[in-house]
Amino acid sequence: MKKLLLAAAASAAILSTAAFGADVPSFAGVWKIDGDHSTIRTIDGRLPPMKPEAKKRYDAAVSARRKGKPTGDTLAKCLPHGLPRLMFAPYPFEVIQDAKQLTFLHEAHHMPRFVYVGDKLPPIESLDGNYMGFSAGSWDRDTLVIDSAGFNDLTTIDTAGLPHSENMVLQERMRLTDNGQGLEDVITVTDPDTYTKPWKARVTFKRMPNDYWLKEFVCTDKNPDAQ
Amino acid sequence: MKSTHLLSATLALALAAPGVLLAQERGVSYKPAPPLPKPIYREQRSSMDNKRDLSGVWFIRDYNRRFRTPTDTLPPFTPYGKAEFDKRVKAETDGKPYADASTHCWPHGIPRVMNSPYPIQIFQTSGKITIVHEVAHNIRQIHMDQKMPDKVPTSFLGYSVGHWDGDVLVIETKGTDPRTWIDEEGIIHSDQLYSIERIRKTENGENLENEVTLIDPVFFTRPWVKKINYAWRPDLRISEYICEENNRNAPEGGVTVAK
Repeated sequence: MKKLLLAAAASAAILSTAAFGADVPSFAGVWKIDGDHSTIRTIDGRLPPMKPEAKKRYDAAVSARRKGKPTGDTLAKCLPHGLPRLMFAPYPFEVIQDAKQLTFLHEAHHMPRFVYVGDKLPPIESLDGNYMGFSAGSWDRDTLVIDSAGFNDLTTIDTAGLPHSENMVLQERMRLTDNGQGLEDVITVTDPDTYTKPWKARVTFKRMPNDYWLKEFVCTDKNPDAQ
Repeated sequence: MKSTHLLSATLALALAAPGVLLAQERGVSYKPAPPLPKPIYREQRSSMDNKRDLSGVWFIRDYNRRFRTPTDTLPPFTPYGKAEFDKRVKAETDGKPYADASTHCWPHGIPRVMNSPYPIQIFQTSGKITIVHEVAHNIRQIHMDQKMPDKVPTSFLGYSVGHWDGDVLVIETKGTDPRTWIDEEGIIHSDQLYSIERIRKTENGENLENEVTLIDPVFFTRPWVKKINYAWRPDLRISEYICEENNRNAPEGGVTVAK
């Protein structure tokens, strides 16, 4: 498989539309999330297994939001969603794909996400802690496996306030469903500082018409999430 | 809009044959490309094999916060345009610069976003060219092979249509929000700004030349040109740039506060 991919990369056609390997599915196009994910649960419908300190912070955020008080949500200041929250945002994103790079262009805050196929995830210590972290991709047959790390701890995982630390590591398994009309992302969150064990969340997307163009979303001009 | 005929005649020339219109402004030379560092990430090289393939990472070579014509003169301002420019230059000299769009963390506008000292990545997909700019995560989309609509909505990055004229990518942009500036010094524009970019590979594909023609009858007496060059940088990746975090220059009451 790896050899095949490398061969595909080397002989990749010049236009990026044609440049992903022939044996790899194409996620190219525009996608919109199914359902509401402001409160994330594990794949089997439970509250993620928070450590006591994390649970305290979570409960405080939930309670503040219920009372209409500021929760410290980064979105209120037009700061990025960060990962994995950006994948749960209720706005479309476009995927541009070639053999070495999948680029996710999110309408939300016009935020790009880059997944470098063939890279290995470097040790966390060597990565800048930032909002989007670093994402390394590899193909497992029809599934894109994305390993991400190198985050700051300023963001939450969902709108409700699920916390995470700088040591959070994500593994996403992304694949087409529904004859290419659907995209599924199963996200494993591993963060021993915050959770008692790794947990999984699942999110699905529907393909949007080809003529959908990302709209200009400028939070600092009109912030829909101001508190 | 005064002198519409003259303007459209000039425009037709600008679109069809910039060499005719801008003969006096051509022949400007820029420094030869510096030797490329060894590519770290991508072995794919830009080349002249496909002159219509602009995809990849590029980095501005001749960055200057001030826009001048290729003969190093100020743009052909109308009296109003000159007064607005002078006002901004003076305010900056006095230590109280006006706040432009980027100071608010808004998208930078066209052509301003094409002139920033950060890398850009160009993507070419069906019917579309997308440019992702590291600076303030601007994402610019260009509609290929479509006519400019009669009316375009106003947005920070405007509405861009593109087509190939031989091996030159021609991008026309209208509807750029007048809250954006043309350069960082104080050349601004009205809602009538019409920009035409002619982008082509030169130097064996290691240079991208962008010849930007700017038309705005409120601010300029005639179309004028600014040239920008970008170096092919397969060794670079777009990094995270979050203007909204700890914005040192956030404006207060319309005035930039430098901290």
